[in-house]
Amino acid sequence: MDKAIIELLARQAGLDKALREFPDDVTAAAEQASGWVANMQAPSEPRAEPWPPMKPGTGL
Amino acid sequence: MSGLHWLTAAEAAEAIRARRVSPVELTQALLDRIERLDPKLNVFIRLDGAAAMEAAKAAEAEIAAGRPRGPLHGVPVGIKDIIDVAGLPTTCHSKILMDNIAAADAVCVARLRGAGAIVLGKLSTHEFAIGGPSFDLPWPPARNPWNTTHHPGGSSSGSGSGVAAGLFPMALGSDTGGSVRNPASACGIVGLKPTYGLVSRRGVFPLSFTLDHVGPLTRTVHDNALMLDAIAGHDQLDPSSAAVPPGHYAAGLERSVRGLRIGFVRHFHETDLPADPEVAAGLENVAATLHKLGADIWDIRLPALDEFGAVNRVILQSEAWAVHALWLRERPGDYGQLARRRLLGGAFISAGDYVQASRRRLEMIAAVENALQEVDVLLCASAMDPPSPIEDAAETERTYPRQARTPFNVTGHPALAMMAGLSSAGLPLSVQFVARYFAEAMLFQVARAWERAAGTDERHPPID
Repeated sequence: MDKAIIELLARQAGLDKALREFPDDVTAAAEQASGWVANMQAPSEPRAEPWPPMKPGTGL
Repeated sequence: MSGLHWLTAAEAAEAIRARRVSPVELTQALLDRIERLDPKLNVFIRLDGAAAMEAAKAAEAEIAAGRPRGPLHGVPVGIKDIIDVAGLPTTCHSKILMDNIAAADAVCVARLRGAGAIVLGKLSTHEFAIGGPSFDLPWPPARNPWNTTHHPGGSSSGSGSGVAAGLFPMALGSDTGGSVRNPASACGIVGLKPTYGLVSRRGVFPLSFTLDHVGPLTRTVHDNALMLDAIAGHDQLDPSSAAVPPGHYAAGLERSVRGLRIGFVRHFHETDLPADPEVAAGLENVAATLHKLGADIWDIRLPALDEFGAVNRVILQSEAWAVHALWLRERPGDYGQLARRRLLGGAFISAGDYVQASRRRLEMIAAVENALQEVDVLLCASAMDPPSPIEDAAETERTYPRQARTPFNVTGHPALAMMAGLSSAGLPLSVQFVARYFAEAMLFQVARAWERAAGTDERHPPID
């Protein structure tokens, strides 16, 4: 993830103080998050529902 | 009676009922052992010895008066410090919550007290159940009693270390990506992540609402079932709580595994994350032993571990961000570095990513459900490596994600980790069993068969 984008997203999330005091931690967190998103496959079925399923009652 | 510290919860409860041991004598013996060993292990954040002795005296009086309170009457328990105990701080092992005094017991603690258990105090964890092992927090990290230079696993580190070291026979932990099963694996004990919704989360500080589970850590399968009997049950005020009938989990432990179908998920440790050879050999030994006992062993394939891991992390980070955003904005310096780095990630995950992960999650649930139509129980790795040296940050960072526990936080299936043997260096090796939703009794049956055959409940760390 580009450094300028990380800074922009961090400021948008209100992390100005973290950016000032712990810039390496902010960058490391952003890169790790970006890696997890990249490793995730989107469902192939466009109508796939999210979990938890939209049903009341007994859990699961 | 000597050696009180190695009594299991079941043995202690029976001895107390029969008045061969007094709860006061047992609690005092454990407090003495804690005083001697805890400076090496860092298990406790807050020991409440005075309250424990008061409770032990009350239990003694109740038993003497013929008023037994429950199956764990007079048995001490340790509580992970993200779980509320009335009147004590719930610090989550963090400077952020140093002065956070709990007004009431968490439901799981109240249920343990209802069964007669005696609360000893609050136990070390990774910061907010995610950042550890860390040396930049107000308390040091717990250490592994098999070798105190090694990590005891986490995040329920004090729970695992204290149970294995004989500081208490049972403890509560929490498990969002494997945090009960990791210390159970690293410390050679039994750790259960129950079915999602079986044990109330009310009064437990959240890490990730839809992945968090509360579970028991014990030295034996029987004790684990007894603890689950005590803590399971519907809670109307926990929105994730399932309304299912009680399981009577300790009732069928000694049933044979003859004829059961056990699905061995070999690709987890053979190709997804190739395991240490001793770990792999240990898993093969467990499968061969269960086969000798009459179980049929099948090969099963599930989605790859890296994908389970990605879905787990995207959901966990997003939900944890919702919990921590305010503190991360205003007090980032009050977190340790590991927790700060791990919790900040949620700021960079979009709402769309979260929904995609939740949709993929449902497909993964279907994959595991389909596998569990073919077999009764899954057998797979828990950790891919023996415990790492705790001060070797690079090795801990390398080995920590090399595990097969997160899939079952994603799917919510019950999963139990326990000792599979010892490595050539004398450190615990582990195995994991997984069952259908709410089939914890089946999980205990298989785990007990392995325990009985291998004698894992007789092995204790060389610490005194």
